[in-house]
Amino acid sequence: MLPADCSRRLVAELQGALDACAHRQLQLEQSLRVCRRLLQAWEPTGTWAWEPPPEPETNEEDPLPACTPSPQDLKELEFLTQALEKAVRVRRGITKAGERNKAPSLKPRSIVTSPGTTASTPPQSPGQAGGHASDRRPTKGLRQTTVPAKGRPERRLPSVRDRTRAGIGARAPRPGAGLRNQHMAPSAAPQAPEAFTLKEKGHLLRLPAAFRKAASQNSSLWAQLSSMQTSDSMDAAAAKTQFLRNIQTASGGSQPRLSAAEVEAEARRLRKACSLLRLRVREELSAAPMDWMQEYRCLLTLEGLQAMVGQCLQRLQELRAAVAERPPLPCPVGRPPRASPSCGGGAEPTWSPQLLVYSSTQELQTLAALKLRVAVLDQQIHLEKVLLEEEMGVQQRSAALRRT
Amino acid sequence: MRRRRVDPAAGARAGALPEAIAALSRSLPSGPSPEIFRRAKFDRPEATSALWQLLFRVLSPLPAGNALASIALEVQARLVKSALCSQGYPRLALAQLPEDGSKGSRELLLALSWLLARGPVPEQMLAQTRVPLGDEMTVCQCEALASLGPPAPHLEAEGPVDVRHVQWLMGKLRFRWRQLVSSQQEQCALLSKIHLYTRGCHSDQNLGHLSVTEAEMLRDPEGGQKLLRTLEHESRRLEAVLAWRRAEPVFWQWMDTVLGTCAPEAPAAASQPTFLPWVPECGDGELELVARELQTLEEELREAVERRRVAWEAKARGCGRGPEWSAARRASRETVEKELGALQRCWEQDSGPAPAHGPHRLVRREDGAAGDRDLRAAELIRTLRSQEACLEAVLRQLQGQCRQELAGLAGALPGLIWIPPPGR
Repeated sequence: MLPADCSRRLVAELQGALDACAHRQLQLEQSLRVCRRLLQAWEPTGTWAWEPPPEPETNEEDPLPACTPSPQDLKELEFLTQALEKAVRVRRGITKAGERNKAPSLKPRSIVTSPGTTASTPPQSPGQAGGHASDRRPTKGLRQTTVPAKGRPERRLPSVRDRTRAGIGARAPRPGAGLRNQHMAPSAAPQAPEAFTLKEKGHLLRLPAAFRKAASQNSSLWAQLSSMQTSDSMDAAAAKTQFLRNIQTASGGSQPRLSAAEVEAEARRLRKACSLLRLRVREELSAAPMDWMQEYRCLLTLEGLQAMVGQCLQRLQELRAAVAERPPLPCPVGRPPRASPSCGGGAEPTWSPQLLVYSSTQELQTLAALKLRVAVLDQQIHLEKVLLEEEMGVQQRSAALRRT
Repeated sequence: MRRRRVDPAAGARAGALPEAIAALSRSLPSGPSPEIFRRAKFDRPEATSALWQLLFRVLSPLPAGNALASIALEVQARLVKSALCSQGYPRLALAQLPEDGSKGSRELLLALSWLLARGPVPEQMLAQTRVPLGDEMTVCQCEALASLGPPAPHLEAEGPVDVRHVQWLMGKLRFRWRQLVSSQQEQCALLSKIHLYTRGCHSDQNLGHLSVTEAEMLRDPEGGQKLLRTLEHESRRLEAVLAWRRAEPVFWQWMDTVLGTCAPEAPAAASQPTFLPWVPECGDGELELVARELQTLEEELREAVERRRVAWEAKARGCGRGPEWSAARRASRETVEKELGALQRCWEQDSGPAPAHGPHRLVRREDGAAGDRDLRAAELIRTLRSQEACLEAVLRQLQGQCRQELAGLAGALPGLIWIPPPGR
């Protein structure tokens, strides 16, 4: 077996790799829990879901009473509501009462799709009792049944004021909307409690308005930040460079020492160069030239590659000499991350996330599997390198011993 | 660049500077109050510990959390010194500051400004704690299985390590890899389902369906409220960063005056900055490896080139000469030069015109159509496959090298037992 100290390093590295895997596994399992839960039956509680299909946005954002239905309409609606509610009361009975205690927070989207939204009987399915965030106020606010005069009274039916317990509110629908609701109603009026599942009714969900607003503001701010980055004001850039220069001259150092980070970066570049060159050499050596023109090009390429390899070697020697002469400033604690913070902020980062489009489950799985494979290969290579370094160290030490 | 209108009586900087500093402090996480900055200019001791802590937050590679807050000030200070040192911070006075926070606020202010001048610090910090609204996947490999820190020295220190222990660890690692693969496949399947079932829901047509985060919000309104608050908080920070960027030039003028109040430092003799004993050595081993590879490659090339050159010259003598001949040769030369130039650029540029770093939001579209700035999964898959091939080649080569070394060692050290290198 290898001498104790070097195999200790190997063990430590293996342990590190194991920990990294465990950490990733934990993250995956957490995410799996969330996904599984979402695919089972759950209730979209509150007024978050079941907004009507997006009509022109102005509808919902418009706070002004411009959309107040006429008093005539309101009255008619009130009659209709009462009639329907009575019918439902008769139909439902008390068995459903208390079945879903959360339900009172739901509100029917309109009268025609409000079976079971009477005061005594909670709706049998959250799906049917379309709740709806007609404004940005949280659920509780809407339960206020003196339907807030300060709120959007034009969006509530007058009858709503009486429904204290159920806290029913309803959107004063436009005739058009009403029709749409009607279309929805038949398909959404089962008799038995039907759990909501993403599979069946997922496409009916809607994000709440408050969130939508916040999200769009957020993304536009990020976009502004991105564009500001690329057109960095001349003044600021010049001022910064000047400051850095001033600080350099005001400090003791004449020639800044190579920092470990820079050595690492240069080593990384050379490593990359090496692997790219090697790949290219393989390609050229294995290619079978058809005619003398191709042969000539192949020859030139190989000669060019030879020259590049020579350059890289030279740079490497220089780097090693510099490092040996003036030891680089030490690394910060913590492995100099391959994921350096500069990864997020390298040259011209875009701060707003871009999209990654996939078209099928298969594709997504392939992509993820490949990513993992590459990461695993990285780990393997790192371990192999550690082993190699340790072996070389042992060899050097034993050679030194033999010499003495 | 926006300049606040100030009354001529006050200096031109009067209004703008406090605004700039206030924006800066709002844009940094738990940023110190503008008062601290002012005090630091005059090197007041009470500003010191806040600045140590801020620098620690900025320089720490770990994400913020309770763990960070509980670290003692002395330790934070030492880590800050070490980190700045490794980034090449030129001022020596910083390394000599006492770590108890009793003095040095002006030096710390200079250090902070140095960091701000070198990179977009507030943006980077904001990006670290960003609220992901979508289901994100990183494109670069950076955090894929990043280790969580320097490998801790193994506790059972003494004695040679049993080879079976190493093999057992290796087997355990392989098992974990397999576990990861299967968990990930499942997660992708579920994610894809969720995207499929919620298509048509999102107000943003570009996205088309909900993400897990968004669906969770609908399932759990409390969590949704929390998300909303975090989102709004982030938007406030973003506004602060934008304000900072606009007001920045004023800050730099002020910092120049701060620098001016410091006495110039004497060039260093042999003062070694303090470094921590357990820091792993960024050794020469890495470079040695690369050197060896390059040398082998050089050898190989030399042989091949010689051979081919000879063969070519022989052939070329047989063919005729003529203007077309030399024109063709010139054309070939140019093509080759261009190709090799492109190859060189691949490693010369630190982060090439490369596919973006960082997280991308997953979007499912049946037709796979994507805009200009969006990535397609198919392309990424192609890139990853070639990366995979490349890495496999590297691994095989390393394994070969390991075996050679071991053979050498077995010869050199009698009694050495062969350990099969950690392989597939």
